[in-house]
Amino acid sequence: MEENYRKTLIKILTFLGGIYFFVEFILPKAVLEKIGVAEHHSFISYGFIVVGSMAVGLGIINLFMVHGSRIIFRRKDWFSSVVLLVGLLVMMFATVSDWRSGLRITSETRKWTLLGEFTEVIEKDFNEKKEGVPSLDVRVNALLESIDQNAQQTSKLLKSKQGASRIPKQEPKFVLAQSYAKQIANMQQAVLSDSKELEASFDTETPDFAPFAPLRQSLDQLGVTVGKFLQLHYEYSGVRQTYNFLFHGLFVSLGSAMFSLLGVYIAAAAFRAFRVKTLESSLMMIAAVIVMLGQIPFYVYIYDGLPLWRQWLLEVPNSAAFRAIKIGASVAGLVMAFRMWFSIESESFADDTPGESA
Amino acid sequence: MTGIEHSTPGILVLLVLFIGPVLYYIRRAREGRKIFVRRIAGVDAVDEAIGRSAELGRPVAFSTGLTSVSPVLYACLGVLSYVSAKAARYKSKLIVPQNNPEAMAIVEDVVRDAYRSVGKLSTFDPQSIVYLSQSQFAFASGYMGIVHREKVATAFLFGYFAAESLILAEAGQQVGAMQVGASVSPEQVPFFICTCDFTLIGEELYASSAYLSREAVQLGSLAGQDRAKLLFFLLIVIGVCIATWNSVFPEAAISNIDSWIRAGYGDWFGGM
Repeated sequence: MEENYRKTLIKILTFLGGIYFFVEFILPKAVLEKIGVAEHHSFISYGFIVVGSMAVGLGIINLFMVHGSRIIFRRKDWFSSVVLLVGLLVMMFATVSDWRSGLRITSETRKWTLLGEFTEVIEKDFNEKKEGVPSLDVRVNALLESIDQNAQQTSKLLKSKQGASRIPKQEPKFVLAQSYAKQIANMQQAVLSDSKELEASFDTETPDFAPFAPLRQSLDQLGVTVGKFLQLHYEYSGVRQTYNFLFHGLFVSLGSAMFSLLGVYIAAAAFRAFRVKTLESSLMMIAAVIVMLGQIPFYVYIYDGLPLWRQWLLEVPNSAAFRAIKIGASVAGLVMAFRMWFSIESESFADDTPGESA
Repeated sequence: MTGIEHSTPGILVLLVLFIGPVLYYIRRAREGRKIFVRRIAGVDAVDEAIGRSAELGRPVAFSTGLTSVSPVLYACLGVLSYVSAKAARYKSKLIVPQNNPEAMAIVEDVVRDAYRSVGKLSTFDPQSIVYLSQSQFAFASGYMGIVHREKVATAFLFGYFAAESLILAEAGQQVGAMQVGASVSPEQVPFFICTCDFTLIGEELYASSAYLSREAVQLGSLAGQDRAKLLFFLLIVIGVCIATWNSVFPEAAISNIDSWIRAGYGDWFGGM
């Protein structure tokens, strides 16, 4: 009874999920916009990302179960499992640290650009006479205080980064970092003097928002420059270097090494395929020889028309075969999708009847 | 020619025309009418391949490649279920390396069900479903490692494959495994033909499950999709005729089928 209930629930959910995407595809865009589906479509599609993220967890659990038990019971090749799990943990740690550092840089940048946005909000709210927000003098004071606080924090950050800089002095990036530091110091001075001027001259009764626009621009520029400065230093930090070594140095290189194996394997596979034993293999070899000869520059010494033959082989018989395979597979895929949607499924691999354990 | 990003009334009509025969033939098959399926050498070889692994006492590897949760995966699951049940019955070790964690969860369930269906649930080892990596070449190297270490006797490569197809198939070739490859991506089919003992091309992958199980829904669906393909063929012939007519008599050109399919709701009903 419980099993039937579970099956029915799965069928209903599958049908509902399917019908949403089917209707989304079938209905005209104008109708979708009118009924509000277009607006929420991307939000609904995030469901896939959520399910995908949960599934990644399943993958990690599987890795720990398979390799963890191999290590615990000292099964064959247990040391490889140790290497794998250590690699996994180190890579996870490096990636999370890299992500956190990226967030820190963004938050330092945002500290300044947010104040720029705040000046805009103050002016807009005042002009629109928006109610329910703090009074103008409270907001302007908060803005000026924040500028002051940010300036102090950024100065400290600047000093600490310059003191612990890992950028080699002979590299042009060292000069660039120094010039960013100088720019930041100058910009800070300018922003502080602007804010002091604003504090002295700003009248909340008859406010003049003219100084807000240049202040906003300076705050944005300062934020961007702080971000560039921190990014430059971050590239030489231990976290980034470790991440680069593990990802670009090891992972990408090993992937490229695997890919390069293809060259050797293609030659080995071609050798086996070109052994003329049957009519089919003879035809395949003749076609391959024409295609290969038509591809190389030496064809002029053999026969001028080879590139045309090659082109004909690729564009006519080859394309026809490709399209036939694709059409057949697409129709079969469509039918399979339809069966899944309506749960018209066979029992061959969906059988829930419990069998006896041997 | 650009693709169609959104449905048109023409596509809706085509969908109905394609699905109609499928439903009809599924019904016929359920009523017990006999449906003929031609022999597929690669699928006939499945039993032989599993038997070989039992004789040699070496494992069977079944890979769904880079297949994610999609109709292709469901097509592979039918074969996986059959292979798992046979492997369980013959007490052969089954290894199912996985690339996609979402697919892995489904694959594990299917293999467990297959073991249960032949009364061998106690011999099912959940660790035989091994998650390797979602990265294409990390997965390929992991698969190679397993095939070499375990010296698999039989390898089934069913599903969606990309550039790693030859790496996987060559690994099996190097340890002398009997291999059956099946891919819906035509670009990878030549690699499997060169390296595997048997290759299923394109839709044969979808047909293999029906062929093995002889189950009414699958057989009916197979027969139905063949009729749907006839419709496709008819459309192609009409399209060729119209294109030929237009090229011979350009002054009396008529609009071709694709313009009818591409016409949006606005063209049909106006104002949309």
